Amino acid sequence: MRSNSYTLIFTSLVTLILGFLLSFTYTQLKSKQDENLAVDIRKNILRALDIREEKDEKWSNQKVKDLFSKYIRAEVLSTSGLIVDNISIENIDTEYDSLNFPIYYKLNENQIDGYAIPVIGRGLWSTLYGYLALEPDASTVKGIQFYSHKETPGLGAEVEKDWFTNNFIGKKIVNSSGELVSIEVLKGKVDESNNEAYHQVDGISGATMTTKGVTQFLLEDLKKYEPFFKKIRNKSESITWLF
Amino acid sequence: MAILNKKSRSALYDPLVKTNPISLSVLGICSALAVTIRVDQALIMTGAVIFVLSTSNTIISLLRKYIPSRTRIIIQLAIIAGLVSLIDQILMAYMYNMSKQLSVFVSLIVTNCIVMGRADAYAMQNPVGNSFLDGLGNGFGYGAILISVSFFRELFGSGTIFGFSIIPEWVYGIGYENLGLMVLSPGAFIVLGLIVWFQKEIWKEQVK
Repeated sequence: MRSNSYTLIFTSLVTLILGFLLSFTYTQLKSKQDENLAVDIRKNILRALDIREEKDEKWSNQKVKDLFSKYIRAEVLSTSGLIVDNISIENIDTEYDSLNFPIYYKLNENQIDGYAIPVIGRGLWSTLYGYLALEPDASTVKGIQFYSHKETPGLGAEVEKDWFTNNFIGKKIVNSSGELVSIEVLKGKVDESNNEAYHQVDGISGATMTTKGVTQFLLEDLKKYEPFFKKIRNKSESITWLF
Repeated sequence: MAILNKKSRSALYDPLVKTNPISLSVLGICSALAVTIRVDQALIMTGAVIFVLSTSNTIISLLRKYIPSRTRIIIQLAIIAGLVSLIDQILMAYMYNMSKQLSVFVSLIVTNCIVMGRADAYAMQNPVGNSFLDGLGNGFGYGAILISVSFFRELFGSGTIFGFSIIPEWVYGIGYENLGLMVLSPGAFIVLGLIVWFQKEIWKEQVK
């Protein structure tokens, strides 16, 4: 049996060395990891706006950057839905800023072909980060993607799978009188004969808490952009500012 | 000519089939079920486990005379966890998509009973060289099962290998369908069960 002090010193020494080693690798690889994350976010914005890889295709980081700068433009909106000129989109903390909201839009031959907004909120274990894209009419969903979360694999983590996200495409976020109703993720399947089916999507069995969270934060995030989208729907303001 | 003596050879080769950590001891099942949907995932996972197992075995064997017995599990775990975090960081930097697909299962190598078991049962008692070989052998044994399971699951579940379509279109034309069950975890259970059964039938005398 070794003495207490030996045990203590040896154990702390091992921990110290390991800690040092790990922090060293972390600082060395940080920039590379950050770049991957940034590219992944752009890729998800592209995917939400229906620019995606073919089945057997893999995009390099450079390809994603090229496509992004070719098709996607970004603006910053205020709480009243006006364009804010003096703030750069890189300087916004999307998760916590409650005054300035970033918005991305897709340009296709000088026509706006959809808007993408960040959607962020709590699931069961973690915060989910994603992008929701709307058609140019600002009321139909064009796509949704989640790029970061720590939900249970096989259950909550299914939010990032195509079978789940494809359900959102074509759903409406407003009712017939033009009020924002957002998208509701059901528990179970959508009953197509139901009057509410136009804004409901199939749930994920075993992931009720995650999908409840999704329903909730989609509504909250869409509310932030509602002043802007309302203008587009009503066409009360020309959207020439984009060019 | 024998580069390795008898003991080293058995440390390296036995775990491949004879004392395979998955099919004989039924350890490390969690990840074997989770990351065997596609062969490429299984390959990366195997690489990560081989690295962690052989390195942790080597380090622990090097320190085996100095590790105080009262805190040996903590120290083993710290070393294993350190190596796993290292691999996780590297995957995030250089194979981002793969690290996203493997998600938590890379970090879960820490709790993989094979790694812990080999560290405490083998590396604590044996010299460095043999411990390294034992880690390598067990890693490859783990990988062999992982890759065979994922081969069957990907082939029958998605009709692909490494993501490339293997089953020609005309086969689907005459009514063949991908087996959805294979993509789900129960499919992995069934394939794994068949492999365990197969092995125990063939190498009967070793099972005892």
